[in-house]
Amino acid sequence: MLPAEEVAADEARRAGGHPPGAAPGANAAEPGVGEEVLRVEHLAKSFGPITALRDINLTLRKGEVLGLLGDNGSGKSTLIKIICGFHKQDAGQMFLHGEPFEPKSVDDARAHGIDTVYQDLALVDELSVYHNLFLRRERVHAPIPFLQNALMRREARRALDDIGINIPRLDVPVARLSGGQRQAIAVARTVSGEADILLLDEPLAAMGAKEGGQILELIQRLKEEGNVSIIMVLHNYVHVLAACDRVNLIQDGTIALDKHTAETSVEELTDIVVEEYRRARQAAIEADTASRAAGGSTASR
Amino acid sequence: MAVASGGEAPAQAPTGGPVRNRALGASAAKLLRGFLTLREGSIIVVTIATFVYFLITAEGFATSANFKTLLPYFAPIAILAAGEVFIMINGEIDLSIGAVYLITPFLFYKLAQAGLPLVPAVMLALVGSAMVGLVNGFFIAVVGISSFVATFGMLFVLEGLTLVTSHAAPVATPGTSSLHVHTFAQIFGGGTYSELIWALAIVVVLQLVLTFTRWGIYTVSVGGNRLGAAEAGVRVRLVLIRNFVMCATCAGLVGILEAVRAVTATPDPSGSNEILFQAIAAAVIGGTLLRGGSGTVVGALIGALFLGVLHDGLIIKGVSADYLDLYLGLAIILVMSINVFVQRVRTGSGLA
Repeated sequence: MLPAEEVAADEARRAGGHPPGAAPGANAAEPGVGEEVLRVEHLAKSFGPITALRDINLTLRKGEVLGLLGDNGSGKSTLIKIICGFHKQDAGQMFLHGEPFEPKSVDDARAHGIDTVYQDLALVDELSVYHNLFLRRERVHAPIPFLQNALMRREARRALDDIGINIPRLDVPVARLSGGQRQAIAVARTVSGEADILLLDEPLAAMGAKEGGQILELIQRLKEEGNVSIIMVLHNYVHVLAACDRVNLIQDGTIALDKHTAETSVEELTDIVVEEYRRARQAAIEADTASRAAGGSTASR
Repeated sequence: MAVASGGEAPAQAPTGGPVRNRALGASAAKLLRGFLTLREGSIIVVTIATFVYFLITAEGFATSANFKTLLPYFAPIAILAAGEVFIMINGEIDLSIGAVYLITPFLFYKLAQAGLPLVPAVMLALVGSAMVGLVNGFFIAVVGISSFVATFGMLFVLEGLTLVTSHAAPVATPGTSSLHVHTFAQIFGGGTYSELIWALAIVVVLQLVLTFTRWGIYTVSVGGNRLGAAEAGVRVRLVLIRNFVMCATCAGLVGILEAVRAVTATPDPSGSNEILFQAIAAAVIGGTLLRGGSGTVVGALIGALFLGVLHDGLIIKGVSADYLDLYLGLAIILVMSINVFVQRVRTGSGLA
């Protein structure tokens, strides 16, 4: 693009209008991807003086895998936590299958079919593998409130074997397991439920190549089954292009890029992030020079 | 991709005498190690060792009469500790249990004076204890005061209220008489084994709740990873409040049992503070961690038994009352050191 066009596109982006690369409704014709299941509009969230999200507009369609990218501290986890009901947004609205959606709690969101794998995994060290897998979804011998431990152990075994992660003993506390095994349990908890929207916050962070590959395979399988829609926060652009249908990049509290992965590349994504970093650094240098000039004139008395 | 879980390959069958002895020794050692991996393992061993020590060195220790004097010492502590274990697993503490123990008999007295029949008066008094737990839970889980501070404040509030309403004078516990133990008193603490049965029943129920129900799972979750539990959807505030209500109710029950057994309700804050410390000590030496996330109700029972055996044994041996606290303190430190060592062996790290 010409420099002038670049600046104009920049301004449009900053104003929080529609991001470049996708007009609304243009994705509807994508094969295998259906109608919109989740839409968030003008979402904003601050924590005291820190603005995590300024004006987020995002759409998720049935059966698609949406990659969510952004620098550290860009608000990806906050966005995930708002959608899953853990935080309440300061402004903006969410729509689930076209209906207004305001989850009162994580449980409420789960009842609406949204399940989450958190960056910190939300595992309890002292509980066993299968108790962690079934946390908040325990099987109980109704009407007596006793846990069906044997049943949960069997189903946990099946779920973990399905994913293909090796965890030999299910009755040990998860504190004893490796990072990759723990992450597998966190993913298994979400995947084996009945959710139709999965939010995965850095599901591959602790995993080695082989385990990470197995999770990506699992996601591919879920995609092929077509019942589940996924938003995935990832840092590795190669993974994003391999596993996701579409990618959204968060920058400055808004969605700065919304493109099909086929239409973008690792280079383009990297360029945008680097450009932003360069701009921020430039601004910081200018601010520093300005304050030094002001301070210098008083000090030189 | 399932890998066979646990278990080593079976060893070769031993052939001759010395080989067989070594094999037996090895399996005994394995059994012992397995036993010690139980959270309660080390306190059980220590309690048995202490019991045997007094059996050998103290005349009159191993009599049924002595057992009966042991019961009212350890059973109340066991019940208090059982409730406190849930609070401690949550990573909190309830310092008001002694004060609830102190005031509830007086509430029972007032209700009986107001004309309520005995059992409804007990029920309503326990509802009063539960209300204290609710207030504790509210300030801790909703307002956000630290549990140490909130329950510490409640301790003084209740002790003050006890002294104010009783005018610092003991009263005769309703339903009791110094001449004859009626049915009501038999059941509610006056009968010889009444407190023991209450203690065993409560410990069994609470341990089952802790190990086999969602209440227990969520209690461990809230203590072990409060943020993670919240993210997974556990209702953290509800879990906390529920546990404080349950703990305070246990404390109220113990207060009534003891008041019935002693035939009078005495407004003695020093006694109630002492039982508070004993309950916490029993819970901790029984294997419940102060930092939360892990604990055992059965262990608290055995911890209370240990304190009872120690106290009782020292008295039988004729140790001067002045020395009791000294020995008790030393024993507690020693037992905790053993616990910590065994804990390290359990988790496989060993001493440096």
